[in-house]
Amino acid sequence: MDEPFERLMLPARLDSLRPLIEFARQGGEKAGLGSSELDQLALVLEEILVNIALYAYQPEEGDMELAYRSEGYSKLWVEVSDQGRCFNPLDAPEPELKDELIDQKVGGWGIFLVKFLAESISYRRENGRNIISFRFPRSETAGTSNP
Amino acid sequence: MKIEPTELEKAVVLKVTGRMDAENAHEFEQACERWISQGTRHIVADLDGLEYVSSMGLRSFLTVAQELQSRSGSLSLCGLHGLPRQVFEITKLIGIFPVYESTQQAIARL
Repeated sequence: MDEPFERLMLPARLDSLRPLIEFARQGGEKAGLGSSELDQLALVLEEILVNIALYAYQPEEGDMELAYRSEGYSKLWVEVSDQGRCFNPLDAPEPELKDELIDQKVGGWGIFLVKFLAESISYRRENGRNIISFRFPRSETAGTSNP
Repeated sequence: MKIEPTELEKAVVLKVTGRMDAENAHEFEQACERWISQGTRHIVADLDGLEYVSSMGLRSFLTVAQELQSRSGSLSLCGLHGLPRQVFEITKLIGIFPVYESTQQAIARL
């Protein structure tokens, strides 16, 4: 049987990022993730949560929820959700790497990093909520090879 | 995140320590802008003490580097390791920045 989810819901604002990420880090530690994996998990969560905090509800306000459960040996299943406008961030086009620094677009790298580091990541809209779910870390050596 | 400047003849070295995330990445950009407005053309970022960087940090590094390059200057990155290095490698942005092992090497190339 699957373990129950641990959940934390906070206002969808930038100052909620650190407590939500710390909450997940504690779960990761309990699940046996190493310190570099915990930093990668923090990165994946920051990239997802910052999009919600900045864009999901503007100009209204709302919540964002982080839920996780341990899944097998040193693995977490994570779900991040909000009640904002229907939006799948995973559809964002991959940023194009330019030859010259001056031509490089400065943004768009967040979701690229998320897709690289998380496993089985998917988006669904359920009961009025946007839900991003993924397994972490990837089964192959996380972050050292292309997905 | 802490940013400690050292003004040299050819460049300003900014020693960045701690975590650069969505909440504070703009502080690096602001610190650089202050030096650029005072005439600095070359900034050497000493990232040996940088433990974490997210895409908001990448955005700040790119913005500052482009601003300096448009003024015939440069932003050099030194001492990248751990997660910050992984982030630059995964995005392949490491290939478009001047990257050095140490600040001494970066300064010698100016």
